[in-house]
Amino acid sequence: MNLTRKTQEIIRNNLSMEDALPTKMPVYVNSFAYIFGVITLSALGFVVITGIILAAFGPQWYHFSNAGHFVNSLHFWGVQVFFSALLAHLITKFFMAAWRDGRWKTWVIGMFAFALSIFEAYTGYLSQTNWDSQWIAVQAKDAMNALGIGGFFNTMNTGQVLTLHVAVIPLILVAFVLLHLIVVRSDGPVKPIEEKDSRRKK
Amino acid sequence: MSRKTDEYFKDVPMKSYDLIKEGLIVFGAVSVLIIILAIIFSSPDYPTVKAQQIATYEPLSYLQTFTDILTGKSEISHYGPPYDNDVKNSQSLFGITPAEILGTTVPINAVNDFIIEPLTRLAVIDKNVQIALEQFKNASPQQRQMWIDNYSKALDNATVMNGKVQMADGDYGPLPVMMNGLLLLGKSGLLEGALQKNESPYDFYNLDYTKPLLLFQGKVYHSVAKSLDMLGEDWGISNETGNYPGAWWLWPYTFFYQIPPMSTSPNGDLEVGLIMIGLFLVLLFLPVIPVLNKIPKWVKVYRIIWRDWYKK
Repeated sequence: MNLTRKTQEIIRNNLSMEDALPTKMPVYVNSFAYIFGVITLSALGFVVITGIILAAFGPQWYHFSNAGHFVNSLHFWGVQVFFSALLAHLITKFFMAAWRDGRWKTWVIGMFAFALSIFEAYTGYLSQTNWDSQWIAVQAKDAMNALGIGGFFNTMNTGQVLTLHVAVIPLILVAFVLLHLIVVRSDGPVKPIEEKDSRRKK
Repeated sequence: MSRKTDEYFKDVPMKSYDLIKEGLIVFGAVSVLIIILAIIFSSPDYPTVKAQQIATYEPLSYLQTFTDILTGKSEISHYGPPYDNDVKNSQSLFGITPAEILGTTVPINAVNDFIIEPLTRLAVIDKNVQIALEQFKNASPQQRQMWIDNYSKALDNATVMNGKVQMADGDYGPLPVMMNGLLLLGKSGLLEGALQKNESPYDFYNLDYTKPLLLFQGKVYHSVAKSLDMLGEDWGISNETGNYPGAWWLWPYTFFYQIPPMSTSPNGDLEVGLIMIGLFLVLLFLPVIPVLNKIPKWVKVYRIIWRDWYKK
């Protein structure tokens, strides 16, 4: 079996250039509900950019530099917008039953990305190197320890928490988000819920 | 389009669309919104609480923390895994104790790590501390316990005069010298460093703050958190210092800590953790869970979302 030919075939059958970068959309894609995913993605992009700046200057730069504090504020509010849009995205997709017509993969990958986002934000709070980090570290450790997670993830080990926050989790999270986008574009937007059956019953 | 999407959309009318333009417009608008929020509201950055401040401004609380370790009443004294093998305080449910699975991966010997070790560093530069430490180590367990009990009782009635701790005279053995040494170590700002010091050849770099954080996690941190409305009953870690929204996405998690039986259970952390894992699994498998996956069809919010389509 030629793996390269097989890969070409899979891509050709599942993701054309028009699927990946569409120039036309079904007419029903005409609602406020479709904007939340794009806002979530934009806020994530913004958080990644500001996160790269903060990481480049080191974890304590923002305490002593006005520029650093401003970038930290951008990062902070980026996260707030990200989670607000993410929640709105999740709720609207639920009410659209967006998992229909074989789109359960999109839902499942999105849920893993959601869980990773929460863990990413959590390690972010622990990486602040301020009072909030101190308090959250000693409080959250009990939950981690009770669940047996504390045996390999120590909220008070700032080195571990920081590398998880700036490298390990973002890489996995971005991979899940990319996978989510690929299946979204490969399947296209789900059709509106069919109401013919219920009308017949009436 | 691909064969798959051609088939799916074959009866659906299409309209013109520009994905990249829409993406750039939304990214621009989101960026402006975040920049405005950052300019107007800034972000919280409450300074760390250090042993130096506690020793200087709250010397009795500082000494009480170490005395609790000596008497075995500290939160860390019999915590169980991952800090020690004393599993009787570990949280369990249906006979299963998850903390036991990996065991003691972050070993802590409270008396040795928080009292003997830092004083051993100080003993190098203070002969009196060295003598007191030797006396303490060489005493019988019964003798040590008597000194600790006497000191602990006297500390309950101790006062602070001009920054100095005043205690009634009594048979405390070497404890006053040892405790004063710890107090001075704290005031000097060297306690955290002394706690982090270990025998590893790579100890020059240390990014692990487990010991300094565990030491004051009890009454001292709780009193700071109380003054900032950050205690568990104030929805704990989902709160943030100052008037900031905090990690509001953890509200469902902190909510379960507020209601019985979790609010009063000794296994509360484990119970809430398992509830959250359960809720996540419900969300994950929602598309195939009967009843729940029918809710969107019943509540018909989709008719608002796709109102233009249904009009046609």
